Amino acid sequence: MEAQWLRIRRQKRVQTVTIVVLIAALVVWSAVQTKFHVLTVFGGLGEMGKLIVNDFLPPHPEALKGLIEPALDTIYMSVVGMVVGSLISAVLAFFAAATTTPHRIVLVLVRGFASVLRNIPGLIWALMLAFAYGIGTLVGTLAIIIYSVGSLVRAYAEILEEIDQSQLEAVKATGATFPQVLGQAVLPQFIPGFVAWSLYKLELNIRASTIVGMVGGGGLGFYIQNGLKLFHFRDVSMAIILMLVLIVVTEFFTNKIREKVI
Amino acid sequence: MKPELATEMANDLSYETALPLHLAEPPQPSKPRRDPWLVGAAWFFPLFFIFSLWQLNFDYSQLAHGTGKMFQLFAQMFPPSLVDWRPVLEAALQSLQVALVGTAIGVAVAAVFGFLAAVNLFPRLGLLIKGVAAFVRTIPTLVWALMFIVAVGMGPVPGILAIATHAGASLIKMFSQSIEEVDEGVHEAIKATGAGKLQIVFQGFLPCVITYFISWSVFRLEADIGESAILGVVGAGGIGYQISNNMRSYLLPETCFAALVVFVLVFSVELLSNWYKNKMNLK
Amino acid sequence: MAAILQVERLSKKYSDGTAALSDVSFELEPGEFAAVIGLSGAGKSTLLRCINRLVEPTGGDVSFGGVRSAKASAHEVRLLRRQMGMIFQGYNLIQRVSVLRNVLHGRLGYVGPVRGALGLFSKQDVEEAKSILKRLGLEQQTYKRADELSGGQQQRVGIARALCQRPKLILADEPIASLDPVTAKIIMDNLHRICREDGIACIVNLHQVEVAKTYATRIIGMRKGKMVFDGRPEDLTDRMISHIYGESPDKE
Repeated sequence: MEAQWLRIRRQKRVQTVTIVVLIAALVVWSAVQTKFHVLTVFGGLGEMGKLIVNDFLPPHPEALKGLIEPALDTIYMSVVGMVVGSLISAVLAFFAAATTTPHRIVLVLVRGFASVLRNIPGLIWALMLAFAYGIGTLVGTLAIIIYSVGSLVRAYAEILEEIDQSQLEAVKATGATFPQVLGQAVLPQFIPGFVAWSLYKLELNIRASTIVGMVGGGGLGFYIQNGLKLFHFRDVSMAIILMLVLIVVTEFFTNKIREKVI
Repeated sequence: MKPELATEMANDLSYETALPLHLAEPPQPSKPRRDPWLVGAAWFFPLFFIFSLWQLNFDYSQLAHGTGKMFQLFAQMFPPSLVDWRPVLEAALQSLQVALVGTAIGVAVAAVFGFLAAVNLFPRLGLLIKGVAAFVRTIPTLVWALMFIVAVGMGPVPGILAIATHAGASLIKMFSQSIEEVDEGVHEAIKATGAGKLQIVFQGFLPCVITYFISWSVFRLEADIGESAILGVVGAGGIGYQISNNMRSYLLPETCFAALVVFVLVFSVELLSNWYKNKMNLK
Repeated sequence: MAAILQVERLSKKYSDGTAALSDVSFELEPGEFAAVIGLSGAGKSTLLRCINRLVEPTGGDVSFGGVRSAKASAHEVRLLRRQMGMIFQGYNLIQRVSVLRNVLHGRLGYVGPVRGALGLFSKQDVEEAKSILKRLGLEQQTYKRADELSGGQQQRVGIARALCQRPKLILADEPIASLDPVTAKIIMDNLHRICREDGIACIVNLHQVEVAKTYATRIIGMRKGKMVFDGRPEDLTDRMISHIYGESPDKE
């Protein structure tokens, strides 16, 4: 008994050590391949420190005047992206959830579609969109919508699949039609998760919109990318601060609403 | 009797027994007031949505025109071209390597600073580190990459540094949260043996949180592989460079191939991480 | 008196091969208060759900108010359902909406599909729902959310929802199985009183023989999907009870 227990323990230990060594080897190999050295971390951080202290600080308050418009654009794009994205996703999720889908094949198709949207990064979508639509906030908004739909369909479908079926049964037993069951029994159970996820997406959209902005989506991202290219570092740091403020404020309000809805 | 049962009985009994005693009509229940935050939000979002659309002032003919062009673009992208499969796959491998090294550094940094940031171990220092980490985390990886490119030049190295920075800051939050959730009793018991702070950390806390650390690191790696795939777009190495370069040179079938590689890469990582999640849940 | 419900050779075989219900036939007259007793898995739940077609029977027929349900269209099935209220073991209220709205769900079969989906009920319906709540002593709870209520209160809302359908028949599936004895008595008293006052026929699935004997005017015993007893409570002998429950009588 004792011996067996020890053997299992030893086996487990050998397993753990093997995995750790394997991962370490993989990391070292990757570092060699990318010509990355531990010292580069410190060198890079040192350079970064110097760059920040010498060139980025102090931020340029005068830049604020030129920043208001891109910041507003970022907000507008995020909100429009959230509303349109969550509405489209809610409809698609209905077809992608095992409990509500009209047919299994529809479910697989919609899930596959969402997975393609989700697993191609938003920036790459933005690149392609910029190619077709030209540069501007339209591209940024569309890229945000596409990327939101990818992840929200999955999230909403999971909510719909966790719905309490016995509540639906009760409403069905009153002689209700399918749309009535949807409106009166499915919707009340769907709303809290829907709101929580949509608001979370709004936060992510503000971050994402600064990223898609870099390849021509407009907003703060475009400004940051441009500023770095033109070496206007103090303007850039002002833009970053503004972005931080935006994110913190959105987080505050969305948290407030989320608390109340559940 | 269970306490909830007792209250249940009290609830129902009070109605049965108290009813005849009511001589005066009980006050009519009034509709409860809706929560002002919810009412505000319910009004705000639709109105602000319309306002935003108005302000963004999209050119809707451009939307129609561009959508047509988008479909043309898709049509021209197929079939994907395998001509430069070698550089594309090499670049994909580099993206993986960048993500792996970056995440590994991030995990190492967070393993140390996560403890320093836990307020149950270091009340004042913890808040400070958390604040800094929150600040660093809010800046997207791509912006960090741009800044590191300015600092150290193009190539995979700024990519690794950018991912390490962002991953480190995110993981500090996750790690310190896990540490703070450790039962206060464990902390006390180890402290009572006269152990020093280092001993408390290694003997008391590390065994409690190590599985959480591993899970968070795996999910971070998943996110970072997605990030590293796009870093090349701004010149920080990896497959993103291939995509943006092909796109700019109008090599559409080649772009399609690279995009498909990214899809397969990210999708398989998602599958792996889902598998891991399920496995952890079953345990 | 003419029967309002006729169950003829009703059978249900699930796709995994278990025969939950085989050849059950009986008639129910207006105002009858019938208790169905038997072990769990004896087919009591399936019987009720086959009557209002929440479960599709595989054989036999049900006729209710002159309509035969075996060949009924989806529309006719809904017309049948709205005349039969149903009460559940788990209450099955929509947890996140108000008590009043849960009661109003009883009117869904009567309003148009769109108005029902949007929850636009007429003032008349609202008034009726409120008076039903008053009758069940839930006036103070009208605007509370269903999940704020105790189990006994939730079940009373369940009864109110069924009443709001103005049913000719109430199907109650283990209405007191999740409640403590005192609350269970309150629920059964309420259900019994209302059915008697309004002349509603009722079929109640019950675990406990004693409760069945106290309230029912008629008892139906089920065992392994078959009806093994149908008669007045006083005819239910101890031997019969052991037969219904197998080896150990009344151990639930």
